[in-house]
Amino acid sequence: MAKVLETNGMVCPFPLEEAKAAMTELTAGDELIINFDCTQATESIPRWAAKEGHTITNFEQTGSAEWQIVLKKGN
Amino acid sequence: MIQIISFGLIVGLLLGFVLQRGRFCVVGAYRDLLLARDGHMFLATMIVIAIQAVGVYALAASGVITIQADAFPWVGTIIGGFIFGIGMVLAGGCATGTWYRAGEGLIGSWIALFMYALSAAMTKFGILSTFGNDVLSYRTSDTYIHETFGLSPWVLVIAFGLLISALVIRSLRKPKLPTFSMKPKKTGLAHILFEKRWHPFVTALLVGLIAILAWPLSEATGRMAGLGITTPTAQLLTFFVNGDTSLLNWGVFLVLGIGIGSYIAARGSGEFKWRLPDKKTLGFNTSGGLLMGFGASLAGGCTIGNGLVNTALFTWQGWVAVIFFLLGTWTATYFTIIRKQKRQRAGSGATSAA
Repeated sequence: MAKVLETNGMVCPFPLEEAKAAMTELTAGDELIINFDCTQATESIPRWAAKEGHTITNFEQTGSAEWQIVLKKGN
Repeated sequence: MIQIISFGLIVGLLLGFVLQRGRFCVVGAYRDLLLARDGHMFLATMIVIAIQAVGVYALAASGVITIQADAFPWVGTIIGGFIFGIGMVLAGGCATGTWYRAGEGLIGSWIALFMYALSAAMTKFGILSTFGNDVLSYRTSDTYIHETFGLSPWVLVIAFGLLISALVIRSLRKPKLPTFSMKPKKTGLAHILFEKRWHPFVTALLVGLIAILAWPLSEATGRMAGLGITTPTAQLLTFFVNGDTSLLNWGVFLVLGIGIGSYIAARGSGEFKWRLPDKKTLGFNTSGGLLMGFGASLAGGCTIGNGLVNTALFTWQGWVAVIFFLLGTWTATYFTIIRKQKRQRAGSGATSAA
């Protein structure tokens, strides 16, 4: 299952906080696709994901100050 | 005047560029101690202090610069520090963070910046200045921590440097977290400057070096201090209103440089975009900016002037301010984020049980 989380317009720390909340509703192996436009989240989301044991399966800049990161929920 | 403009702009451009590319955010560093239980970015701010302390005391010992600091205005620092801490969470960035996010195109930061400049000018030069001066009149006889304990500043500079070095080594020795590198679209210098992720400790090293450079360049223009944000921002707004050119000192061009430097960095890396948050966030940005300007004026500085510069001088004001910045940040984080999450969790738990 994959869930898409739109956070464009939100400033830090809210994209990450929304991601945390969304992740709790998923089960291990599910994917969470996060679209965000807060520059500082390019640092905080991958760091949080790595610490929590979620795998980053893709991370790219999709436009001017817009990013998409795909996380696979860990166990 | 050319010297004031160019020396201020040089340091500001460098600082704005580095802050933007390094995603260096003091409010994030303070907030994440509580919210993410992560001290990584906080350690980065301590690296800036440690490096700057060595540089500044070395420059002072060799006679290149003169260190000046006022006696510790303890009432103002405690109250103002706490208020500033709350304000920067609501504003979505500390004073400097707000300057550089304005350069990234965040409209909420433009509003926070204007409110911050307005309330700083009101407290320093305007309708609240009598009150501000009253609060700032409560001062201790001592300025420096080493002065109180009868030590050479070098004892603190070296002890702090060793402590931070040990923490950095410990942090770097930890097993590396898995990372995902984006596919590079640029090569060479353009890749390093406008695309590559900068390690927070590398960014901290650069900010520390820029903070050292600020001292001789500022003092060459007659302003006997290092990096400072609040007074120059208040002076810039006051200059716009009354046209008094005597307000235009090194610091005014420093803060302008931060905004422009961040804009260049963001533009160059495809990270500039006008971004408008929702109404609630704009309301927070407005009140946060007002609290920051008022708080920083009472505290004698923001998270740069107090949090990175006065700390490096080992003044009581700098370190007490950091403690109250932290307390204010955590209080606001609790009420705006943590408490809400707890309620939501309790709410969703109740529905799933039903």
